[in-house]
Amino acid sequence: MTSILLNALQYLGYILIFPGFLFCFVCGMLLCGIDRKLVARMQKRVGPPILQPFYDFFKLCGKETIIPDAASRTTFLAAPLVGLAALVVIQLFVPIHGFSAFYGMADVIVILYLLLIPALASILGAAASGSPYAGIGLSREMVTIISCELPLVLILLAIAKTVGNALGTGLCFSLSAIADYQLVHGSLITKARMIPAAIAMLLVIPGETGNHPFDAAEAETEICEGMLAEYSGGPLAVFKLSHAVKMLTLTSLFVALFLGGVGTGITAVDGVVVFILCVIVTAVSISFVHAVTARLKIEQIFKYYWTVVSGLALVSLVLAWYGL
Amino acid sequence: MITFNYICSFFLIVLGFYTIVTKYNLVKTVIGMSVMDYGVNLLIISVGYHPGGTAPIFTQGELTAASSFVDPIPQALTLTSIVIGACVTAMSMALVIKLEESYGTLDTREIRRLRG
Amino acid sequence: MSMLNYHHFPIYSIMVLFFGAFLIAAIGGRDIAKNRKTTGVRAFIPLLATAASLAFLIALIKPVMLGGEVIAYWMGSRGISNGYAIGIALEVDALSLFFALLIATALFVSAVYSIKYMEHDDNIGQYYILYCMLGGGVLGLVLSGDIFNMFIMVEILTFAAVALTAFRTKVYGALEAAFKYLVVGCMGSTLILTGVIMLYAQYHTLNLAQLAALIPGTMNNATKLAFALLYIGFSTKAFIVPFHPLAADAHGAAPASISVLISGVLTKSGIYGIIRLTYFLFQTMELGAMQFMLVFVGSVSMFVCVTMALAQHDFKRLLAFHSISQIGYVLAAVGLSTALGISAGLYHAMNHTLFKGLLFLAAGAVLHETGTTDLGKLGGLSKKMPHTTVLFLIGAFSISGVPPFNGFASKWMIYQATYQKAVETGNIGFLLVTIIALITSVLTLASFVKVSQSVFFGQLPAEYENVKEVPFGMRLAMGILAVLCVITGLVPQLVTRYLTEPAARAVFRVGDYISSMGFASQTPAPAVSFAQVGVWEPISWLLILCIALLAVTIVAVAGKYDRVSVRSSETVDTKYQLFYGGEDNFHSQVGGGDLFWGFKHNWRHYFSFMHDLHSGIVNDYALWAVVALALSIVFVMIVL
Repeated sequence: MTSILLNALQYLGYILIFPGFLFCFVCGMLLCGIDRKLVARMQKRVGPPILQPFYDFFKLCGKETIIPDAASRTTFLAAPLVGLAALVVIQLFVPIHGFSAFYGMADVIVILYLLLIPALASILGAAASGSPYAGIGLSREMVTIISCELPLVLILLAIAKTVGNALGTGLCFSLSAIADYQLVHGSLITKARMIPAAIAMLLVIPGETGNHPFDAAEAETEICEGMLAEYSGGPLAVFKLSHAVKMLTLTSLFVALFLGGVGTGITAVDGVVVFILCVIVTAVSISFVHAVTARLKIEQIFKYYWTVVSGLALVSLVLAWYGL
Repeated sequence: MITFNYICSFFLIVLGFYTIVTKYNLVKTVIGMSVMDYGVNLLIISVGYHPGGTAPIFTQGELTAASSFVDPIPQALTLTSIVIGACVTAMSMALVIKLEESYGTLDTREIRRLRG
Repeated sequence: MSMLNYHHFPIYSIMVLFFGAFLIAAIGGRDIAKNRKTTGVRAFIPLLATAASLAFLIALIKPVMLGGEVIAYWMGSRGISNGYAIGIALEVDALSLFFALLIATALFVSAVYSIKYMEHDDNIGQYYILYCMLGGGVLGLVLSGDIFNMFIMVEILTFAAVALTAFRTKVYGALEAAFKYLVVGCMGSTLILTGVIMLYAQYHTLNLAQLAALIPGTMNNATKLAFALLYIGFSTKAFIVPFHPLAADAHGAAPASISVLISGVLTKSGIYGIIRLTYFLFQTMELGAMQFMLVFVGSVSMFVCVTMALAQHDFKRLLAFHSISQIGYVLAAVGLSTALGISAGLYHAMNHTLFKGLLFLAAGAVLHETGTTDLGKLGGLSKKMPHTTVLFLIGAFSISGVPPFNGFASKWMIYQATYQKAVETGNIGFLLVTIIALITSVLTLASFVKVSQSVFFGQLPAEYENVKEVPFGMRLAMGILAVLCVITGLVPQLVTRYLTEPAARAVFRVGDYISSMGFASQTPAPAVSFAQVGVWEPISWLLILCIALLAVTIVAVAGKYDRVSVRSSETVDTKYQLFYGGEDNFHSQVGGGDLFWGFKHNWRHYFSFMHDLHSGIVNDYALWAVVALALSIVFVMIVL
């Protein structure tokens, strides 16, 4: 009886503290702050303090929430919360070094689909607001999702095949198996054939998180923040938080898929190591790209992902397929 | 001889297809469907043919090992098929009448509100 | 045998529907407006008949699904004479029962829905007669053990479906759709009949089991031709490419309660026919070329139809294209010829019936209340029809494969099955199928985002201010399907164990199918494995999500997440209006037409080509049928 209770408490701890909410909140926000600082430094600006996202979050929380008369109230308010919760759940499945909070419950294809839920939540929230700006924003967001889906699928299939070949099963979808494989054989990024896929994944991350230059969906200068046009106060704060957590989730997914095997075996230390790796990935894939590019038009985003990025991923897949 | 039947029946089926594909008049399309049906009926009847066979109708005790008759099953099938064909023709003519009423034309090229 | 012996149940389940049709006709009376009393009776008879039919079939789950029995039932006690089947038989194995259960469920739910939905139509008696005939026809098709009876049932169901498509003759395009469907459907039926007769000419029997015992190993050119004819015949019933435009027309124009049947029931009967043909009668699925054919056609259907759906601006027509897209998944998975593939395909077939039924009923609800299904005219209905919106969203999430709904469970199995097949055979083509399936899935999501934005969310047009929620009876029907969607998504292990795996196993046990009819069989049942590579525990995931959501909500509510200041009712406060950059508040709905411009722009040549291709001229569709027939004859002659 007590053991069940202890187990339940342990899992509750996973969900609420590490690697769940608290971890996501702190690390996501920090990541967001570091990203802003890095971009600023790259553009020779001073930039906001690293803790700025925290200040923004708490300030927004104190503001009044305005629900437009045209909006569908329940969906409008529930969407940000569902999105955030779904993101935190994904983070629980991403292994940290050898440790995963919920072992053997979801594989990479499931993660691919779970990543749709936060995006879908923000889309439905935007649709529920009734604003035409949000309408255009959600249309662009959906196209961005379609754009990212093809390269992401190719990357995941390439990984599944590579790890499967090594394990002798032919293919492997399990995240923990991929992590274990890297513990033994070293990081996947050290395999020459996975390098194009890794580059593709680095390019997919800003698209999935909706960062510059793939932020046509939230273009503040032309469609007034698009999907967030009608949001204010608490819900907006939650959306900002979701965005930060999404950065953490995707970068830590990259770390788990390509940079696994780096760590000590002590979970707390590994958490820090993973976070540092996440910062590096963010610097490369989000901040650097942000600093040097201008926003793309939505049809350019689509074309870019389905040709260049997918091409890179495809190279890896074909190489992995023929075991080169 | 029976080969000729087979050739004829497939010719009729193909003729039916040809009519449906190339004729733009709804009534001709329906005729094409009927021709197709006749072809199939001819095929069914021919399949049951037996050289020198009689009608498969016998009373008790008449049937001996030496009696030669055509296969009765295809005949039963043909009857079913003819009935179905008649129903289909009736229904399609009903639809043609209704279509003529609401579109004012029998040309298939103009009856294309649903497309794309 | 006692009357309640379960061996009688298959024939009961068919006859109760035909008898219902007869009974409604016997009550008679055309003019309903003057005679309200009989309306209720007429709606009650199909409800009772479909419920009874479903009950009989559910009673068969224990012996057939769990016990693995194959019920062979000779009508009129005439069985085998001198080694030839002379009687007419029903033969029910787990595969037949699986499809019959889907069909009966859809029939029952649609009958519940029809009561209120069809309330204001004339000639409701005729509607229900055709409804029962359609149901009886499809059940007869899947339970029949006799190939000529399969043809008869195909004719009955085509006939009833055409008549029901045109039932609301005033609906835009209904007559046209019915006529096109009739012409091409009739070509399909004729091909089936020709194929049946050619098989009879070769083997002098019409019994499925006996044919299955005789055909393999004795194939000649005539039987090969028969195979091609039957295959195309059943393809027209499943509406797979190149017959998808007919589905779009027919689904779009028919009353929603019938669209449910056309999409959930008729397409299944086509798929069932193709499975019986390829796995049982000819047993050709060992051939790589045959697998290629089914998987190829399935993948093309899946992709072409989803892109066609993206270009639609009518709610029901969009759903119709999606319907065929999902059938593409089923066919591609079934064509893999692996145990996991067939199980996944059947699972998806079941889910397709549930979620597509739900979506069509939701579309019907919108039509019922607003009188239109044009995506450009609707908007903001979620405030007026909250229940319908929730039910629609469940259906939309299911079909788009959002976890934890049922569409995800089956699609996820399909991805594994195709990838596994690719790895096992080393054939990179199957890998392509996995990729196409995944992309199709996200495009499906996109088009349902479009529907939700342009029908249920966004701004409410002024003319729909007085729209009300649909009556309880219609919500009940949708609710049943929604609950089933969630349940089948949450317990995939149970669904596969009790429904799809027995059915998939039956596909590999052709020997049992033949021998239980009393014929000698040479084919031993192979050992099958349903092992999966992936892991997915929806219930645990949902539990975690709920805890997480609860935590977020508690924090949010404690933090006065939805604090709204008190509004005075006298003054107009502009801060509650939408933001228009300082302009006046006006009605501005982002409609469905060009919602995914960024995507479509890159594919504009493809989209305009497809638009021109689907010309709407019946001759073109007939030509496609002939070309498909010619291709399949050539293909079959070469590979078999």
